[in-house]
Amino acid sequence: MRAFRGPTGQALVHLNNTSGGILGGDRLDLRAELAPGARAQITTTGATRIYRSRAGALESLSTAHFDLAEDTLLELLPDPVIPFAGSRFAQSTTVNLAAGATLFWWEILAPGREAAGEVFAFEDLRIETEIRAGGFPIAIDRMHLQPQARPLESPARMGPYRHLASLYVCRAGEPAATWRSMEEQLGVQNCACTEQPDGVVWGIGLLTCDGLVIRGMSRSGAALVAGLREFWRAARLLLTGEPASLPRKIY
Amino acid sequence: MFPDALGFLRLLQLADSALPIGAAAHSLGIETLAAEAALDTGQLPAFLRAWLEEAGTLEASWCLQAAAIFDTGETTGTAPWIDLNRTIAATKPARESRAASAVLGRRFLDLACGLSGNSLLNDFSRAAGDIHLAAAFGATGRALAIGPATAAAAYLHQSVAGLVAAFQKLLPLGQRQASRILWDLKPTILASIERAAAPPTRAACFLPAIEIASMRHPWLSTRLFVS
Repeated sequence: MRAFRGPTGQALVHLNNTSGGILGGDRLDLRAELAPGARAQITTTGATRIYRSRAGALESLSTAHFDLAEDTLLELLPDPVIPFAGSRFAQSTTVNLAAGATLFWWEILAPGREAAGEVFAFEDLRIETEIRAGGFPIAIDRMHLQPQARPLESPARMGPYRHLASLYVCRAGEPAATWRSMEEQLGVQNCACTEQPDGVVWGIGLLTCDGLVIRGMSRSGAALVAGLREFWRAARLLLTGEPASLPRKIY
Repeated sequence: MFPDALGFLRLLQLADSALPIGAAAHSLGIETLAAEAALDTGQLPAFLRAWLEEAGTLEASWCLQAAAIFDTGETTGTAPWIDLNRTIAATKPARESRAASAVLGRRFLDLACGLSGNSLLNDFSRAAGDIHLAAAFGATGRALAIGPATAAAAYLHQSVAGLVAAFQKLLPLGQRQASRILWDLKPTILASIERAAAPPTRAACFLPAIEIASMRHPWLSTRLFVS
């Protein structure tokens, strides 16, 4: 892990160890604190590969905890999680926002190694997400996927889609009117048609307060990531008045 | 699991779709799925099974938690009740579905307070913040001395019956076919209650298609339902 100075002065931090892959029984724990006024963009160097777990091996586990002090800004923009066939993985992430703290956080889940014909061939995947503002929960998402027991192709789950992404945009203490306006501006172009031409379907949900979540499913991973970046750019500009600065990668 | 005769009759009334709280105004995302041809009649049984396995388990866990909070409410006060409802709200990312749960929960609890005259239930009703339907149902069940698992099963049954009724207003589904679907789902309801009650794992829910459909509902050009 090393921090560079980003184009807008924020610390640009790459997490390296997840991209090499996570093996059965691995335990990863990340804790980050942003001091008052700090700005950081945290990303990965590549997709998080979850390798097949051997029979009898413990599931692999990744926990992350972020504390954002007053008037901080965190952009948490990891590459997709790719659970290989036979993998068992649990991920738990919590984010605490103090007054004025701003968060842009996306998560992308791929169905597996599609090129190898692996689609929803993992064994067990648990992803838990919690965002708190001022000590109270504003977003809790606990998903537990067991494709062999509970088919993901169900029209209630993913239907014909294969990739899933969420983008949380939050600022503790921001007035409700800001979020209603952002929901309207982002939603009118992206939610008012049945499916985008690139095979992506998007939804926008206002959180209980202090933020919104943009959620999308797609048939293609590339289309989903491209759409997610556009939402991030637009939301970044609307909320901070600043343009988004892409992580230094080839897109 | 079964209540006494009086409890049984009260439970029938509370879980009846005719209860005047406005539940029939909500499709909870089904209207969007139907409008976008993402759900048809043939898929409905599997759709509802998935709903019960995921949302059903989560909602049942809230029913059970609310019952436990009611049981200790005389000593702990309303703080755990408020915390539970905050947690429920945070797990509902779609604005309309969350609002529906809160509106129906408030109406349900106000009605139950008036019918039962239970003082602790009245304290819960006057506590700060939103009150969600699953929590209101679970607490009311205990106020009427109904077993938590029975109340949770009744809650899931009326929930899934409401989804079927909403579907019938949107796509072709006859009464006999709807009755068959509901009849066949009863074991799935009980399985969801068992999962919700099984420690130590926290109940999870993975229904992105429904969540996204609910998020997209405000943008439908014609809407029969509020959510």
